[in-house]
Amino acid sequence: MATRTALTGMLFAGALVVATVPVDPATAHGTAATDLQDLINAAVPGDVLTLTPGTYAGGVTVDKPLSLVGEGWPVIDGHGEGSVITVTAPDVTIEGLVIANSGNRLDREHSGITSDLSPRLRIIGNRFENVLFGMFLRHAHDAEIVGNEIGGKDLFIARRGDGIRIWQSTDVLVEGNDVANGRDSVFWFADGATVRNNHVEDGRYGLHFMYSHGAVVEGNVLERNSVGAFLMYSTDLTMTGNVFRSNRGPSGYGLGLKDVDGLTVSGNRFVENRVGLYVDNSPSKVDLYHRIESNVFAFNDIGALLGSTVARNVFTGNAFIDNVTQVASDSTGNLLDNEWSHEGVGNHWSDFAGYDADGDGIGDIAYEIDNLFMDLIGRYPEMAFFTGTPAARAVDMASQTFPSLRPEPILTDDSPLIRIPTLPMSPLAVESASRALLFLVSLGLLGAASAVMAGGRFRLSDPLGGGGAS
Amino acid sequence: MTATTQPFALPRTFEPRPVVVIARKVIREASRDRWFWLNCAGFAVLAGAITLTAVPDHNLIGSGGFGRTAASLVALVQLVVPLMALTLGARYLSGERDSGTLVFLLCHPVSRTEVLVGTYIGLAGSMFASVATGFGAAGVFSALRSASADPVLLVRLAMLSWLLSLAMLGLGLVIGSIARNASTGLGMALFAWLAVVFLGDLGVMGTVVATHMPVEALFAAVIVNPVEAFRLASVVALDGSLDALGPVGTYAFDRFGDGMAYIALGVMAAWTAGAVAAAVFTFRIGDRI
Repeated sequence: MATRTALTGMLFAGALVVATVPVDPATAHGTAATDLQDLINAAVPGDVLTLTPGTYAGGVTVDKPLSLVGEGWPVIDGHGEGSVITVTAPDVTIEGLVIANSGNRLDREHSGITSDLSPRLRIIGNRFENVLFGMFLRHAHDAEIVGNEIGGKDLFIARRGDGIRIWQSTDVLVEGNDVANGRDSVFWFADGATVRNNHVEDGRYGLHFMYSHGAVVEGNVLERNSVGAFLMYSTDLTMTGNVFRSNRGPSGYGLGLKDVDGLTVSGNRFVENRVGLYVDNSPSKVDLYHRIESNVFAFNDIGALLGSTVARNVFTGNAFIDNVTQVASDSTGNLLDNEWSHEGVGNHWSDFAGYDADGDGIGDIAYEIDNLFMDLIGRYPEMAFFTGTPAARAVDMASQTFPSLRPEPILTDDSPLIRIPTLPMSPLAVESASRALLFLVSLGLLGAASAVMAGGRFRLSDPLGGGGAS
Repeated sequence: MTATTQPFALPRTFEPRPVVVIARKVIREASRDRWFWLNCAGFAVLAGAITLTAVPDHNLIGSGGFGRTAASLVALVQLVVPLMALTLGARYLSGERDSGTLVFLLCHPVSRTEVLVGTYIGLAGSMFASVATGFGAAGVFSALRSASADPVLLVRLAMLSWLLSLAMLGLGLVIGSIARNASTGLGMALFAWLAVVFLGDLGVMGTVVATHMPVEALFAAVIVNPVEAFRLASVVALDGSLDALGPVGTYAFDRFGDGMAYIALGVMAAWTAGAVAAAVFTFRIGDRI
């Protein structure tokens, strides 16, 4: 096909469109396209529409295989009405655009990009601003969502939309996106998804898998969400090298599992969450074992919380470091139906009080959790209010001293690791900006202390009780 | 200025100058008191040790983990600061009485209220010094050793600890003003410490087990304890919520939100004001000198 570049001169809100299209000059000059929708209507399948900086009216529908490519961040503005871009055709590419100001009707799922029957949709390097849903893709098999920045609306969290929602789409790639202030990033019936190196923060569920099988989730950073990732009713999932940090809130979990069958969790970091890992009825099939291997659980309120009927999880080579509670059962039962060491390799426990006389790196006595206070919390959840108090410690100390008070251990690791297992470097940058300031402030405190003490040492100018006037 | 012509005139106006003079005298004495320095050093060493040991390799974790260090510091403060403040307050007044210096002081044209308030301010200054030393040491170690810590948080925790010590100091002075001698005062202070740090919470825990009391009642029963008020204020400062503390924490934070911190501060302030007023009262009516 003969293709040549034509400059379709037009001014729309100060915008200039350069369309790399096979153009019929008569059409281009005759009808003088006035907006993005007209350009799309005028294009033929396979065209690349290159948009130059400026603002274009949103609410457009792409109904044929086209590429919309922005240069210098052109803005597609939905003006707070409906979805900004609707895709209803296969092989559409949307790249380098600022997609802004969708409507905010949750029931209509107003989105930055919404699509249906759009296989191989590629959404590459766009910025989503003030949109209810970032993107809502239906039947978009083999879609690629790469390198987008998605910022939601400043609404109460349950009124927000999802940063990314994938529905009934197989083999989707979601890579290197930055999602902030959304509600969830949801995969419904999305088999074979690859979710890699994304950063999801300040939302409700960082990642949420429902009935989505065979996903690979690796290298993502999920922080300050209510739940980092919740996997439900899905099978054959792999979670590798992700960071779950500071996911808090009344039901906050780093990673939550419900009715998952077939799962590998390895090399992840669970840091400063309310609960690092929460396991509910997974695996649900009696012939399946889940491996939870070489993860770090550090500084969480509870490192791992398992339902008391949960079984067949194999914990090996993990490090449990300074969690307020290392591992707990969510009611009164024990967790002995899970394996806490596998083929002579247990886990590292920062509160292990044993020894390693033969120097083989494996503790010579077993690590057990038989905590009376946690046992009490299991029976009287209100008791959690006293977590960390000296009184709670006194309760535990009493049970250590008087074996008749000691509950049955909830878990036993026969081969606790003395040293923290070697893990790949954390993808998180270590924050060091406040170090000098901290040093100065601390010196200030010490200085204030000595100033107060020195204040008493000054020789008084006049004797006790005697005023200068007397 | 002071009513030097009528040294025994009661009631006497309350004047700031003798209060300041007595406060400085108390601080000066504290700086010569080896118990005070032992307390100070003990707190600083423990705080520093927590900072040094509680922070593992941050390259492994990808986090400085100061939140956990701070939580350990809060637990340390809960134990140590009430003990220091109660015994300091109780020991000081009864000790002065034992050694006869209180008689000497009261021979001067100062009122008992001025003596007590001056003593309180002086001891509060000493407690400030020891709390600031402890947190300063923890901060210095943290800065040298780990990567990230929020200096604002450090100062906030130090101030909250000092507030707690103010309430405990008031209680200590009540004990000191009614105790017959220094050893009785010390014993009573230790018992008071046991009560606020352990027995109060254990009592509420027992009640929960026995009666399944509603969350509102449990919260109210806990928050009136100044040590618990300190803990809850610290948890709010650290986490921004009370979610970590189960259903009661969630209830309290949902019900009061950011007001939670003010309630806790109010409880500590009320204990301070109440205890100082009670100490003034018991000290004034006390015939014993």
